[in-house]
Amino acid sequence: MQLIDVFPLVPFAFGLLTLLVPRGNQWVRILPILGAVLTLGMSLGFAAGYFVLGGTATTSSIHPWIVGPWTAAYHVRVDATSIWFVLLTTFVAVPAIWAAWSYGDAQRQRGFMFLLLTFESTLLGLFTAADLLVFYVYWDLMLIPVFVLLAGYTGSPDARRAAWAYLIYNGAGGLVLLLGVVGLVVVTHTFEVLGSTFAVAPALQWWLFGAFAIAFLVKTPAFPFHAWMPPTYTHSPPPLVAMISGIQSKAGLYGFIVFALPLFPDAAHAWAPLMLGIALVSILYGAFAALAQTDMKTLVAYTSLSHLGLVLLALFAFDITSLQASVLMIVSHGLISAALFIMLGFIEERVGTRDLFAFGGLAAKAPRLQALMLIAAMALLGLPGLSGFAGEFLILVGSWQTQPVVTAISLLAIVIASVYALRLYQAAMHGEYRVPAGAPAAMELRPRELLVVAPLLAAIIFFGVWPAVVTSRTSPPIFGHLRSYETR
Amino acid sequence: MTQIAAPQIDFGVIAPLVALVATGLLILLVDLVSRRATRRMLYSIGIAGCIVSFVRVVMQFGHPATTFGGAFATDRFSWAFDAIILVALAASLLLSLVRDAEDGASPAAYSSLLVFCAVGGMIMAAATNLIVIFLGIEQLSLALYILAGTGLGRPASQEAALKYVLLGSLASGFLIYGSALLYGASGSVALTDIAHAAASPSMLFITGFTLFIVGVGFKLALAPFHVWTPDVYEGSPIAITAFMAVAVKAATFSVLARFVYVVFGHDVPALAPLWAIAILSMIVGNVGAIAQTNLKRLLAYSSIAQAGYVVLALAGVTGSGLSTMVFYLAAYAFMNLGAFAVIALVGDGSESVADIDSYRGMFWRRPWVAACMTVFMFSLAGIPATAGFIGKVLLLGQAIAAGPWGIAMAVVLVLGTLVSFYVYFKVVWAMFSPLEDGASAPAGNALVPWIAVAAGVAGVILMGVLPQLFYSFFAT
Repeated sequence: MQLIDVFPLVPFAFGLLTLLVPRGNQWVRILPILGAVLTLGMSLGFAAGYFVLGGTATTSSIHPWIVGPWTAAYHVRVDATSIWFVLLTTFVAVPAIWAAWSYGDAQRQRGFMFLLLTFESTLLGLFTAADLLVFYVYWDLMLIPVFVLLAGYTGSPDARRAAWAYLIYNGAGGLVLLLGVVGLVVVTHTFEVLGSTFAVAPALQWWLFGAFAIAFLVKTPAFPFHAWMPPTYTHSPPPLVAMISGIQSKAGLYGFIVFALPLFPDAAHAWAPLMLGIALVSILYGAFAALAQTDMKTLVAYTSLSHLGLVLLALFAFDITSLQASVLMIVSHGLISAALFIMLGFIEERVGTRDLFAFGGLAAKAPRLQALMLIAAMALLGLPGLSGFAGEFLILVGSWQTQPVVTAISLLAIVIASVYALRLYQAAMHGEYRVPAGAPAAMELRPRELLVVAPLLAAIIFFGVWPAVVTSRTSPPIFGHLRSYETR
Repeated sequence: MTQIAAPQIDFGVIAPLVALVATGLLILLVDLVSRRATRRMLYSIGIAGCIVSFVRVVMQFGHPATTFGGAFATDRFSWAFDAIILVALAASLLLSLVRDAEDGASPAAYSSLLVFCAVGGMIMAAATNLIVIFLGIEQLSLALYILAGTGLGRPASQEAALKYVLLGSLASGFLIYGSALLYGASGSVALTDIAHAAASPSMLFITGFTLFIVGVGFKLALAPFHVWTPDVYEGSPIAITAFMAVAVKAATFSVLARFVYVVFGHDVPALAPLWAIAILSMIVGNVGAIAQTNLKRLLAYSSIAQAGYVVLALAGVTGSGLSTMVFYLAAYAFMNLGAFAVIALVGDGSESVADIDSYRGMFWRRPWVAACMTVFMFSLAGIPATAGFIGKVLLLGQAIAAGPWGIAMAVVLVLGTLVSFYVYFKVVWAMFSPLEDGASAPAGNALVPWIAVAAGVAGVILMGVLPQLFYSFFAT
């Protein structure tokens, strides 16, 4: 038994502990944040071990799980690619769980915290799984905390309806993935597929890649599988949507990078035109749809569609630069959207509405809030010096080499990004100060709220200034994949 | 005049059955002799008999044997099914302990009939000959016809019993006619001899086998022979419904599996009707469950779909298929018995509180009950970390490896599972709904069903997290 064996389950364990605390006790708040910080510490430890000390992946021993006509094992690992996803998860989870302190219903706060921590555990399990069946287990388990949170802990009928959209779409995607996963194991007889090369017949590859791709596209989401996203993002409580949009939306992209592309290289090329089309439509549709929104959370939801479409473009352009940048873009988008959704939560809590036309001019009363919103909005539109720019720019430079037409068209979305980002910022912050009747007078961020968001914004600046910290370090495994494409 | 030689009987081989028969008789005898015999005492005798029988089954492990001239065989396969049937028997005896389960009928008759049902099921699990198969099925069914009608105060229960008798005897007719044709085609009632005729099947053989499948399909509630299921499940007392859903299905699957493996031994075109009705069952069961507002009816449709799933284990007729089938049926037993136990617990012996509406906001009133029910619903839906998930993965693996029919079944299973997400999550969704003011809270809080609920949760989670414990045991 090694530390990494239990690492993904640490938040879950803290969640269970939280359930044991008497209702209303202050430990209901402290335990979850302790758990999240401890997990963050552990993941920083793994990162340090990997990048500073060694350079070899941290791998657990293989515990056989099912031995039958095929074998599955409990096997977790952190390597050069997955460490970024793990770091993103643990880093975003801390502010998200901290933001959950302001969850209103003291009676239900225990359950709320437990489910958030469980959600973090499933995400960590997903990003550390070295065994395909374990990966699938977490993929599906992820549905549960989100569904229960939406159905039981929101109180609004809209959110309870959104629970269904979330469940049916992601459940369908998961089941298609299950067909693909089992279809693959019938050929390989083992779920230990990472790092191994299996000669899967191209015809079968085509089908299996299709199954994997559908699941991954639903989770991301990408056009036309995104119908669950706007209601889910809009009606989720801020801590939850920060985690869904910041972390969970990366699960599908992670699946492409780590499983689908290396396992089915032939099929990836066969599917590439369609995937590029999906990417392009997502990029443009997301951007235009964001322009039309008046609900600020729905607006940010659609920007996700656009930005993650760009990552999809990067993956299927099959260019080294854009592949490296895709991980940077993923990390950057996670930070930006988590920060935005948490701050929009603060605003909604104050003004009592998400309608951009119903309030404005908060800058006059809340300069600190304005400053932070400005950074986040600038990151959203891709201002140089912030992480969003670095990711987008490198992706576009890379994709240009292989897919100039698609890249050129998607440049349009970059322009539109400035419009919707500025519109969001201006409508909320500038103009005459007006809030709906009954809103409290104090608009400024409280110190705790400032501290919740500050690390996310600091990271956005950090990766904007030093993007190479990601791109140079993720290169080996992705580079390997790409080389295998080129030799074909 | 020819002497009919009586077959040698090895009582060690049939000891688990003898123990159960003795238990049933003892219950009747105690009721007759002692005036002070309470319900609790009679049911306790039944449960004790279960345990004795279970121990006898365990003592047989590793020593496969046959008796009655080869017509009755105990092996790893029959032990597994015996275990499932005995667990189901113990669970339904426990659930019957809830207030007024037999609803005015004699507790002694009720509990002994239940025990005799299980005897029939265990005969089926070990039968290697058409006559013994029929004997087991009738032993099981006749007792169950009566039990379905023991809700004397409720017309629904009478209706259930009547429907069950009529359609059940029709099924028996198909079965016996099919058996006769198979005998005609092969000249023997022993499955091993019928296997010779299966090598080059005549028209007679195919007809007989098809009729046999129809009869078995009725008992398994496979579509299109399922129409009796929802009414009978809803009308019967909850403990009997639980037994029907689990033990009857397990016993009948043991017959089907033994037949397919012994007679055919590999995948043959003659099995196509079986695959077709499996596909139909998965569709009918899951789609039918969508509109249900009563949990017992919902679980009835669910059991139709699950029966379809289990057929996937037979796809390809390979060795691992049997262990897959046993694994799924064991998982199925835990999750269904658990769910029925929750219904019994909440309803407190009355049959009226099985509407999903009465579960609204359950989590905020009785979090433990709701949490346990959630586990069972997740397992039925096949969510990871539960027994149902591992079972489905095993089934899919089995089916996809088996060729076109198998792949078709796998695809339908996946589609059906998606539909079933809505069905099972609807229950979860209701339980996590906000509390409505003035909603009457079901008050049942009997201790006894909790034993069954807890055992169900333990089984579901254990099989989901450490499946190898169970799988390696069943794997041949």
